[in-house]
Amino acid sequence: MNSGFLSVSGAAKTFGAATVLDGVDLSMGRGEFISLLGPSGCGKTTLLRIVAGLMAPDQGKVALDGEDITRRPPHRRDVSVVFQNYALFPHLSVAENVAFGLKARGAPKNEIAPTVARYLGLVQMGAFAGRSIRALSGGQQQRVAVARALAVGPKLLLLDEPFSALDRKLREAMQIDLKRILREVGTTAIFVTHDQDEALTMSDRIAVMHRGRIEQLDTPAEIYHRPATPFALGFVGLSTQLPGKVVQAADGMVEVDTEAGRLRAKANFIPGSAVLVGVRPERVAIGETKANRIEAVLADAAFQGARVQLHFAAPEGGQILAEVPALPADARPGTRLTLSWNVEDTLVYPALDLVA
Amino acid sequence: MTKGSRFDPVLLLAVPAVLYLALIYGIPLLVLLGRSMLAGGAPSLAPFVGFFSDSFSWIVIGNTVRVAILVTLLCLVIGYPTALALARAKGLAQALILVAIILPLSVGVVVKAFAWQIVLRRDGVVSQIMTGIGLWDEPQRLLFTEAGLVIGAANVFVPFMILPIYSVLKLIDPRLGEAAATLGASPVYRFFKVALPLSLPGIVTGIAFVFSMAASMYVIPSLLIGDRFQTLATLTGRSFLFMRNEQLGSTTAVVLLVLTVAVVVASAALSKRLGGAS
Repeated sequence: MNSGFLSVSGAAKTFGAATVLDGVDLSMGRGEFISLLGPSGCGKTTLLRIVAGLMAPDQGKVALDGEDITRRPPHRRDVSVVFQNYALFPHLSVAENVAFGLKARGAPKNEIAPTVARYLGLVQMGAFAGRSIRALSGGQQQRVAVARALAVGPKLLLLDEPFSALDRKLREAMQIDLKRILREVGTTAIFVTHDQDEALTMSDRIAVMHRGRIEQLDTPAEIYHRPATPFALGFVGLSTQLPGKVVQAADGMVEVDTEAGRLRAKANFIPGSAVLVGVRPERVAIGETKANRIEAVLADAAFQGARVQLHFAAPEGGQILAEVPALPADARPGTRLTLSWNVEDTLVYPALDLVA
Repeated sequence: MTKGSRFDPVLLLAVPAVLYLALIYGIPLLVLLGRSMLAGGAPSLAPFVGFFSDSFSWIVIGNTVRVAILVTLLCLVIGYPTALALARAKGLAQALILVAIILPLSVGVVVKAFAWQIVLRRDGVVSQIMTGIGLWDEPQRLLFTEAGLVIGAANVFVPFMILPIYSVLKLIDPRLGEAAATLGASPVYRFFKVALPLSLPGIVTGIAFVFSMAASMYVIPSLLIGDRFQTLATLTGRSFLFMRNEQLGSTTAVVLLVLTVAVVVASAALSKRLGGAS
């Protein structure tokens, strides 16, 4: 599955003095769904445009289905794009929009209408075939854009933050729908988003991008539980983060002194190294039940339905968070609580200012 | 107008322009129409019947329409690519193209006419180029020919074709072209199926501008072709200025007015329909 159906190697792009892509490698298998996740300016859209052929990389190669397509113009790549603003043709009807790519590729006339009907049906827009684009809501336009991109049977589908303009409820419904549609069609897809929930929900694998690089390419569960870099830890999900110094190291275990207390973790560092210790909030328990323990003063408790999110006063450069099923009965802002978690759940990274 | 057509007070802002046009354009126009129809004392269509039954009138109408159409076509052929380039250009390049288009408007037609005489005469630039590349066997004079008139007039009017097309092209979302490309459309296909249909309202506006100006131009034909080639506009001028025939002058003026208004109204309606679809 992870063989190189699409393979991007060493892709680099600079705009003036700004390096937008800094040597990106990406390899994905046929039928896979990968999200490019990162904040704005991380290079995810640039990478997408390079794969689509809408922009040429300064360096690097793009190969699709065994062919080098680095210099191939977009209309001969078999790579469809769903744009952020949908980019539907305003002078054409819904059905004509979906038919556009088929006609442009010279599909046989008697195949166009059935194909258009099939894809409009797939996105549940069959009843709107004759409508004007302007008469559609944002969610409906979104569906037409997906149908239009899929109707040409692309080797690869690229989606550039397609749901960012939709409200939350509609966005979640569209996420589920899109996954179903892509499964039915069996399309290989790259999905660009800055929304971690979207990426975690939809993807087979996520590429976490930061400053023009892919920091980690892994399954959503691995990204969440084993973030490879402090950026991945901080950008995907919430976390407790404590700066500290390694004081002891032996047999793949380290002991780290932080202002909140001494913590143990599985890692290899030289004693004296400045590090950042992280742990996911749902791994943190109240009370002394686990091996790594700290004491912290409760600052705020945010009720979130199934869980309560607790924020604690943290030493400089860190943050302390816990998510628990219920707040202890006597806990108030200002209450000092003991928190604990397992050694296995403890993540250690080189301190940010040392890797920068 | 919105549904229910409730009066919008913003429309009052048009009052000064309406008054101004009524005063200095509408009333004289009515006087003109009156003169052509009341020439014999009682209102009558006789002047028009007389005009249309004269075969020379049809030659004049033919000259007017033919030259206006040719000038409009030439402006469209030259102007559309320029508008595309202008819409695509950025920063300094765009400013330079805009200046190149607009600056010539500040040069009077009479000054230009002298420049064209250099370009269009038998040993002029055009003639030398055409014979040089072998398209013409021998040098030819374009000055005082209909071709010379069309070339010269198009030169004056081309900004009025470029600017409306440019303003429409500039508003087209560049992602539409990119979307078309990723759907498999070649650059040529993208042009004819995306850019061209979406810019039709600009083309129609440009055609209305150029056609009405080219149909009613007076100075340019006077300078570039002379008296033996008459259009409705030059005939109107001659009637009033030299022949002292007010009746013929007002008749030809009204015919010209109806002709250009018809083209402008038709293109405005067309633009509205196309604009509504886009």
